[in-house]
Amino acid sequence: MAGILSSVLNAAAHPKERSEVTATTFDQLNRKTALILFAVAEAVLGEGFLLKAPRFIETVDDYLNYQRPAQREQFLLALLLAETTFGLTIGGTFRHFSHLSLADRRKILEKLRSSSQSLRRNIYSAFVNVSASTYYASDLTWPELNYKGVSVDHPEILQQQPPIPWRPDDPRPIED
Amino acid sequence: MPSTIVEGRNVNDNRTLTPDFCIIGSGAGGGVCALKLVEAGFDVLVLEEGPNIPEVDGPAPGQKRKMLNEREVDMYKLLYQEGATRLTKDGGVKVLQGRCLGGGTAVNWSACLPPRKETLDEWQKRGLPFTRQNLEPYLREVVNYLPIVRNDKYNTSARKFMLGCAKHDIQGENLPNNTNDCRECGSCGVGCPYDRKMSGFVKWLPDAVQLGATIYTDTKVDRLAGSGDLIREVHAHFIDGKTRPTNRKLVVRPTKGVIMAAGAIGTPSILMRSDLDLDGRVGKFTHIHPVTITIGKYPESTFPAYGVPDNMWTSKFGAGPTGYLIETGSFYPVLSASATLQHGDELHRIMRDYYPNGAISYAHHTTGFDPKEKYGTVELDDNGDPELDYKIPKANVKPMQESLVMMTRIHLAAGATSVYVMRNPPLEIKNDTQFKEIRKIDFTQPQRSTIFTVHVMGGCQMNKDDKRRCVNNDFTFTGKKNLWVADGSIFPTALGANPQVTIYSLALWAAREICERHQRPFNFNHQQGGDLPWPGY
Repeated sequence: MAGILSSVLNAAAHPKERSEVTATTFDQLNRKTALILFAVAEAVLGEGFLLKAPRFIETVDDYLNYQRPAQREQFLLALLLAETTFGLTIGGTFRHFSHLSLADRRKILEKLRSSSQSLRRNIYSAFVNVSASTYYASDLTWPELNYKGVSVDHPEILQQQPPIPWRPDDPRPIED
Repeated sequence: MPSTIVEGRNVNDNRTLTPDFCIIGSGAGGGVCALKLVEAGFDVLVLEEGPNIPEVDGPAPGQKRKMLNEREVDMYKLLYQEGATRLTKDGGVKVLQGRCLGGGTAVNWSACLPPRKETLDEWQKRGLPFTRQNLEPYLREVVNYLPIVRNDKYNTSARKFMLGCAKHDIQGENLPNNTNDCRECGSCGVGCPYDRKMSGFVKWLPDAVQLGATIYTDTKVDRLAGSGDLIREVHAHFIDGKTRPTNRKLVVRPTKGVIMAAGAIGTPSILMRSDLDLDGRVGKFTHIHPVTITIGKYPESTFPAYGVPDNMWTSKFGAGPTGYLIETGSFYPVLSASATLQHGDELHRIMRDYYPNGAISYAHHTTGFDPKEKYGTVELDDNGDPELDYKIPKANVKPMQESLVMMTRIHLAAGATSVYVMRNPPLEIKNDTQFKEIRKIDFTQPQRSTIFTVHVMGGCQMNKDDKRRCVNNDFTFTGKKNLWVADGSIFPTALGANPQVTIYSLALWAAREICERHQRPFNFNHQQGGDLPWPGY
């Protein structure tokens, strides 16, 4: 059933083309769902998010491989539903999600977040979780968090006998 | 069979194997059973759905380390079920479970507690044979073998917690860890790259392989097959590095039996796919420890990813059927972002405010003690994959609110300028007049807050009640002479404490039962040493 619905919605979806989405081969996404994902992520993260997370689309596509197939289908269906049903009527014309301005897409996210329907809140949560976690997985975002990265990138500590703790600019006192 | 680790992704033929025992799952229960049964002279095969963790060249010349690079983006998909995106059926709880060689032992934060006495008392009422007294040799074996030690190097979150607790006259206590010369990188949750955490792939499994056990990774069990009271075959298929079937199959014909150790979601799901659901009892009464989380924002940088993650706690609020344990931890950018129910500029502000200056505390909540409550159910979806249907029990709502209030009080007393509570929309508490907002959170409604769990238990329980029992007191599955269950799925309630040590201990007990059945030796080899590291608990 979900597969049929997904096929119908996929045929009905005509997401806005974005030159920023350069990936051409996917494991789980397709061009349409990749463009919708971009529009969702831009609403969650802001314009220019790919500058700090250049492999955003590819990373999400990769992670979809590891999801339970039924859950993966639900996420892809949520993207298609967002595009085809979460639009706004502007100037007498219904405009689909990816064709809306950033501000209007965020209005829709806000409605989803505060919805009394758990399904809508789940869609909000899925969009926000996937976008935020994938964005902050990119090491280009780490400086703004003062996150110094991982210890295996600092082989100098491995030259020392344990216990030598990992303390990158770390103000914690070193105990005896 | 030659003893080794076979990576199923590289197997190019269909195979049939005939070990004495087939153990399904390589986590806490599977690792223990593998070692003890191979010590007893059995030919042992372990099947693990997740990948192997091989050694690779390290960044230093000549250095070798496990293929664990600490990067969340790489490790979650490698080490966790469903790439760490597993959710309960209604999306209300994020379920973090290991899926790799070593299972949950590979990704836990090293916290080691014994079973609560109060929980064991409840289990005795339900007919289980375990007491702290008769479990002592099993606990001692685990403590000395791993070892489990007191590590009193505290990270920033733990230090803030101790400070706040002292101001509220709460006793912060050291929480023992299964680490050895810990490097304090803080990466337990994404796999220790230095083998300093004594996880299954560092201790139990390599020792078992050295004595002759064989492990197949990337091997997903479809079903068990048999007739009468015997299981005769295990049917499995191999999967590739992205969890896709390779079209190569494995059939195991164990001569002596099968041991289920795939965890509280995996074990029931395999049994259900095998039409071994015991009139619907399998998969029922599944329990979790729902986790509530607070992040305190402090004036100074806290470097919250680094240092020993989980060696400070308090048991002050742990008593009772809905008690909770507060622990401290590490947190990382992806984990933090995934919990933040926010978008736009506010998302980035929260990350910038609370990550660099944050300290975390969280509470594991006890569930499962009300015999009239349904609790969770493991179901199979249309593809035969498991999903957990779980609603937060009403009896836990108030304790979950109160744990957030208490953790917030502790942060504020320790000097936090505000405390982030993962409500939807996010809640930032600056003083106690705002606690009423916490007490309005409805945890029974999905996505009104962020709830995690890292402990799933039950679903195939040991119980004297015929209407609930799936596993007998000798760990055999009801109605099957050669099928045992040796993981957290046998718990009749949630444990009320981090379950790794209890699963290890009960798996040792199960291995002893199996050895006695087959008149083979079962030896405790590590009974020397002093007191157990949990004085008064």
